[in-house]
Amino acid sequence: MPVLETGTTDLKRLALAELSTRPRPAIGRYVAATVAIIIAVLFIWSLAVNEAVDWSDVGRYLFNPRVLDGVVMTLQITVLSLLIGFSSGLVIALMRLSQSRILQTIAVVWVWFFRAVPVLVLLILVNNIALLYPQLGLGLPGLPMLFGVDTKTVISPFLAAIVAFGANEGAYASEIFRSSIKSVHQGQFEAAKALGMGSVRMYWRIVLPQAMRIAVPPLANNTINMLKGTSLVSYIGVSDLLYTTQSIYAQNYKVIPLLLVACLWYLAMVSVLSIAQSLIERRLGFDRKRRVTRAAEEIF
Amino acid sequence: MSDAILDAVGITKRFGKDTVLDHVNLTVRRGDIVCLLGPSGAGKTTLLRCLNHLEKPDAGAVFLENELLGYRRVGNSLVELPPRLIAQQRQRVGMVFQSFNLFPHMTALENIIEAPVKVKGLSKKEATDHARELLDSVGLLNKADSTPQQLSGGQQQRIAIARALAMRPEVVLFDEPTSALDPEFVGEVLAVMQKLADEGTTMVIVTHEIGFAREVSARAVFMERGRILEEGTVASLTDEPQFERTRDFFAKVL
Repeated sequence: MPVLETGTTDLKRLALAELSTRPRPAIGRYVAATVAIIIAVLFIWSLAVNEAVDWSDVGRYLFNPRVLDGVVMTLQITVLSLLIGFSSGLVIALMRLSQSRILQTIAVVWVWFFRAVPVLVLLILVNNIALLYPQLGLGLPGLPMLFGVDTKTVISPFLAAIVAFGANEGAYASEIFRSSIKSVHQGQFEAAKALGMGSVRMYWRIVLPQAMRIAVPPLANNTINMLKGTSLVSYIGVSDLLYTTQSIYAQNYKVIPLLLVACLWYLAMVSVLSIAQSLIERRLGFDRKRRVTRAAEEIF
Repeated sequence: MSDAILDAVGITKRFGKDTVLDHVNLTVRRGDIVCLLGPSGAGKTTLLRCLNHLEKPDAGAVFLENELLGYRRVGNSLVELPPRLIAQQRQRVGMVFQSFNLFPHMTALENIIEAPVKVKGLSKKEATDHARELLDSVGLLNKADSTPQQLSGGQQQRIAIARALAMRPEVVLFDEPTSALDPEFVGEVLAVMQKLADEGTTMVIVTHEIGFAREVSARAVFMERGRILEEGTVASLTDEPQFERTRDFFAKVL
């Protein structure tokens, strides 16, 4: 009888079976958290009691009508640039995925150019496009132009900003769309075709809804970057949030309070975008497949 | 010939240097159940995919009833049709895939009514009523609102069959419909296909399920290296094969 022969071992095993398990004591984690809290408290303290920061000024200018106009301008530029960027990005992605070598090449060159040129350079270039093309219109070389208009009257700094940010975003978004479309399984395309769907319907109903699951997080990233990036328009004199706060402190020298006002507004706008992102992700059904995994050993 | 729904004539298909199909002829008549048998790499799946123009032949043509599938004749060559017309022809040919290919962002019911509503222009009510009948006949009426991720492989494939039938196709192509399934689910899918066979559905089936083929199939086609080696009933192929290669194949799989 094996039970008798290994009696002592069995007793030990029985005793062990009564015990419950506990995770490893996390002393390192407590130390790290304490240090982090101390640093955070010191930083907040340094701001709160800092005499350079007059918090009543911050409060006064937060809802100043000129500042609010700046916020609206920032939002307008962001939204319109995004519309241009996402729609042109989708078209460029589809060109890149087309069978036609020519369309592919145009898409590649387009993306190469608009990713390579810094958006600030592009912004100033588009704003000065009148020096390059004094007239805008339709026409062929050697023939008189149809509907020619003076470039200076058409391209305002506001329009220049939308074109520049839109083109820049389009180049980045096209890469996101392209990779997310390619991640949709080939069988999905075939199933749609076998059911008699045409290409447009196949993309609209079957491919893009699946591609968007993958595209939304990076597109949201780009959106947030774009919103903050629009602060560059102060270089060409568009009165966005940053430009407005700068022009106010240029008069009253309350530099830090007004920059803090700008920070608070950017924080608020980005927070709204982040919330919107998580709502869209939930709508697209990311949560359904969520699995909690702990692949990597944690450091803290 | 007049009642042929699909007629493949001299189909040749190459992938790079490999000739996958070599002047293959195959006629499928209304009511036929044709099983394509043979070792892997013989070209069965490629031939099947040519029958709804998912694969484009390098030479030869497929007739869908009496029109050319995917092409029109211009002088001495065949020019591919615009996608819109190919899509119209594909509505008449259903397809069931090895890996189901259900749309993961839709429920089972939505998968089934998508094409009837969006492609055929049926009202949602009409399409839903028909979809429920189909779900009932594949035994999954209670899974109408499940998403594909919530279903077993066998259930997914049965939904995929219902989805193909929802377009009321004149012929249904099955590409190894049970090969991706765990063994426990093979039976339920074969049972649904058996039922379709009993109802007189025209089917072309690529399969390794010889027993099933023997049960349902009026005709079996044995393929080897891109050619049709011999045709007959499954029993005649397994019991009195004309060729050594046919004998060898069935000796291994039976």
